[in-house]
Amino acid sequence: MSTTREIAKPDPVTALGVTQPPEILVECEAFTGSLATLFLCVRDGKVDLLGVPLAPICEAYWQYLVESSGTDIDRASAALAVLAYLLERKAWALLPTEGDEPSEMEPDEPVEPWIHEFAPAIEALKALAEQRGQVFFRPPESGTEAYELPLDLGDVTLFDLSRALQRLLEKAKPEPPDTLRKPARSLSEMMTVVLRVLPPEFASLDRIVTGEFTRSEVVWWFLALLELIRLGQARVRLHEGEIEFALAVTA
Amino acid sequence: MNVLRHVEAILFVADAPAKPDDLAKAIGCPVYEVEEALEKLGGRLHHDSPLQLVRIAGGYQVCTKPEYAESVARFAKPQKTRLSRSLLEVLAIVAYQQPVTAAEVDAVRGVDSSYALHQLLDRRLLTEVGRKKAPGRPVLYGTTQQFLHIFNLEDLTELPPIDRALPQTVGEDRVAEQGVFSLE
Repeated sequence: MSTTREIAKPDPVTALGVTQPPEILVECEAFTGSLATLFLCVRDGKVDLLGVPLAPICEAYWQYLVESSGTDIDRASAALAVLAYLLERKAWALLPTEGDEPSEMEPDEPVEPWIHEFAPAIEALKALAEQRGQVFFRPPESGTEAYELPLDLGDVTLFDLSRALQRLLEKAKPEPPDTLRKPARSLSEMMTVVLRVLPPEFASLDRIVTGEFTRSEVVWWFLALLELIRLGQARVRLHEGEIEFALAVTA
Repeated sequence: MNVLRHVEAILFVADAPAKPDDLAKAIGCPVYEVEEALEKLGGRLHHDSPLQLVRIAGGYQVCTKPEYAESVARFAKPQKTRLSRSLLEVLAIVAYQQPVTAAEVDAVRGVDSSYALHQLLDRRLLTEVGRKKAPGRPVLYGTTQQFLHIFNLEDLTELPPIDRALPQTVGEDRVAEQGVFSLE
């Protein structure tokens, strides 16, 4: 099988009812034609998808993304939707099924609500609330939530934290040109990274963060640091006007 | 040092339940001394005071006795926070089945519950407790300390048992993940 690809001509009209996917030409024994036509034929049951290898089509799509400058996001996502549909259909076709493939059009079996089983619970809660209404507690001080007390950071203010982030941002390199790359780390992964580099003794960010980094990396890194402080896994203090960070002391 | 008096002073100003550990830390004495003092204070208030010491929402707090409710209410004019039937339904489902997703609550009630869920989140009776390991990673909801306080409960084990045993799970396999911010 071979696939060829050319950047589609500007043609917003589509057989799919959405933006036309890029012109990826599919050539194999079972089918020859564009990706959009393949979609239509598979949808209408005119092509046996088991005879159409999908990996080369995905590769052609990937190549389209990498090579074309100023990719039209609508067209690219239309192709992605078509590929996802084809992959799902093929996956179903490969599965040994005894019965018919479930149709999306078939309504789900209606689920009988069973809220009536909670009636005793609701009555019990009502009784408890009524009982509770007979006693009075000291109301929470205005301005603070009883269960959402702000984290005590000592002398450190939000302004100090903001200034520390600003200083890091000033040292950051500009963002590299927009290219396809691996997705960024999750926040929890970044927190693990920050935990690894935080020293047990207080140190300034200049000493902790070394090497080259971009602005988005800094923002992500600092967000992870703030989350660690909130969780009590990192400490912060002001020392001679300098904000310093360290690992939390474990008992 | 008279620990009893220190405990009483702190509980007088406390506007939220105080845990024995926190009281001991504030006073600077062992926890067992605080617990002894709490027991004595509870006994004393029970016999000779319009106030009482209650265990609520995981701590201790001083409140008025029910027999003074009318006059206190006339004076304090507390803001009434009535819970409608639909809010109570959702609250009961979450309280007894937590952690649950919005879809699971909908399935039990047979109607959309998003409005009630938001109302209960706004009132801090419910909170997000994690995400379910399922397609779309839906939010799991649970009750809060505020819930325990409003319903005069020390913890969830004090929820009154209901006659009929409810299913252990709602819908498919229910596995509460750790919060997204917790580290292993």
